[in-house]
Amino acid sequence: MAVPLSQVWTVTSYVLKQKLLGRRRYPLVLMLEPLFRCNLACAGCGKIQYPDHILNKRLSPEQCWAAADECGAPMVSIPGGEPLIHSEIDQIVAGLVARKKYVYLCTNALLLNRKIDLFKPSPFLSFSIHMDGLKDDHDTAVCRDGTYEIAVEAIRETVKRGFRVTTNTTLFEGADPVRVRAFFNEMMALGVEGLMVSPGYSYDKAPDQQSFLKRERTTQLFSKILERRDRSWRFNLSPNFLEFLQGKVEYDCTPWGNPTYNIFGWQKPCYLLQDGYCKSFKELMESTEWQNYGHESGNPKCQDCMVHCGFEPTSVDDTFGSVRGFARTVKSVLTYGG
Amino acid sequence: MTHVNQASHTPKPRPGTFQGRTFAPANDDELSEVINRAFDYRGDVTITLDDGSAIEGYLSNRDARARTIEFFPRDGDMKRIAYASVRSITFSGQDTADGKSWENWMAKKADQRKAEADRLRQEAIARGEL
Repeated sequence: MAVPLSQVWTVTSYVLKQKLLGRRRYPLVLMLEPLFRCNLACAGCGKIQYPDHILNKRLSPEQCWAAADECGAPMVSIPGGEPLIHSEIDQIVAGLVARKKYVYLCTNALLLNRKIDLFKPSPFLSFSIHMDGLKDDHDTAVCRDGTYEIAVEAIRETVKRGFRVTTNTTLFEGADPVRVRAFFNEMMALGVEGLMVSPGYSYDKAPDQQSFLKRERTTQLFSKILERRDRSWRFNLSPNFLEFLQGKVEYDCTPWGNPTYNIFGWQKPCYLLQDGYCKSFKELMESTEWQNYGHESGNPKCQDCMVHCGFEPTSVDDTFGSVRGFARTVKSVLTYGG
Repeated sequence: MTHVNQASHTPKPRPGTFQGRTFAPANDDELSEVINRAFDYRGDVTITLDDGSAIEGYLSNRDARARTIEFFPRDGDMKRIAYASVRSITFSGQDTADGKSWENWMAKKADQRKAEADRLRQEAIARGEL
């Protein structure tokens, strides 16, 4: 298994509890954006296009912890911006770990070796390193030469120090399945716990508008990448989500599954779309017109989206909500080992 | 909607973006439309209020039911502004989502590839292979 059993148990019992309580909508992962400032400007990123005075704003540790308490999700992902730029990121993480939240600190790793002493290894903390492919693919995607080598060195050091480390890969139009498979082999050889992979979302604000994958191309690409997969690959993703990416199962989005909190408040409706902000998590859940989002809604902004923040919660819900979903998960674990 | 000439301090208008343009809505529908455009805009805007004062910053949210705007001034904390007090909005800051960074990067990579090709060509010539 890529994910520790304690985390599997926590998430499983949380989801089952929501089911027993009859909650149709519940959060699975809080997406906590403590800042938008980044030290890269990636071609496919639509998160950092703000004026300087907005990029200079930060959530305080107290605001971060309050959001985690309010939301109640068992996992917290900290993207950004680049979280390691935040001068109090160690306190933010420590407070979340103290609350027994499973934290995924997403980073491009440019500052990781400089800041690693601020953190202590814990089963509750994973560094999720942004790696978009082999050296040339990654450096091109993040628009800076040399980043791949820095990130690889940081992965080696972080693994050596006993931290949980995963990689987080976004794939775009033109990705070569053979190179992606070679990249997975390289990452597993570095000793990472698991791989996360997702097609990119077609942000209106991203600098490169030509490279986003359409739905059909996404399933073609992932089918080629994941067919006869190497048994050494471990994914930090639900097996059902991997089936979905290959077009083997149809899901609709669960936009409330990964609620997003940042300096503007609770983002409506999801991590990727910005239709407005709410003052509280309760207001987000109760006032958002959820029927207007997801593939089946016909919303054009959702038509090509197959991103993990919307479909991983659906996949997890299916695992525990249907015999087929559970059977598919068991079969995958038995076939591929996790 | 009345499009007012750009103010002297605003950036030059760019095709395909509202950058540098000013809108003075004539009715509630136009007001809602320009506020939505300002919400989608990834740069600062300058709001001229009905008392004649102007405030520059980032429009982060709008509530059409409560008819209020959430606004981060360039040098202060978030303010709520009533729709009714907005006289005009100028898209006064640079559109930070104008795609220039990607174009620049691709141009740089193209230059590097050309330079590499030129170097290889010169080396081949030096070896008598061309």
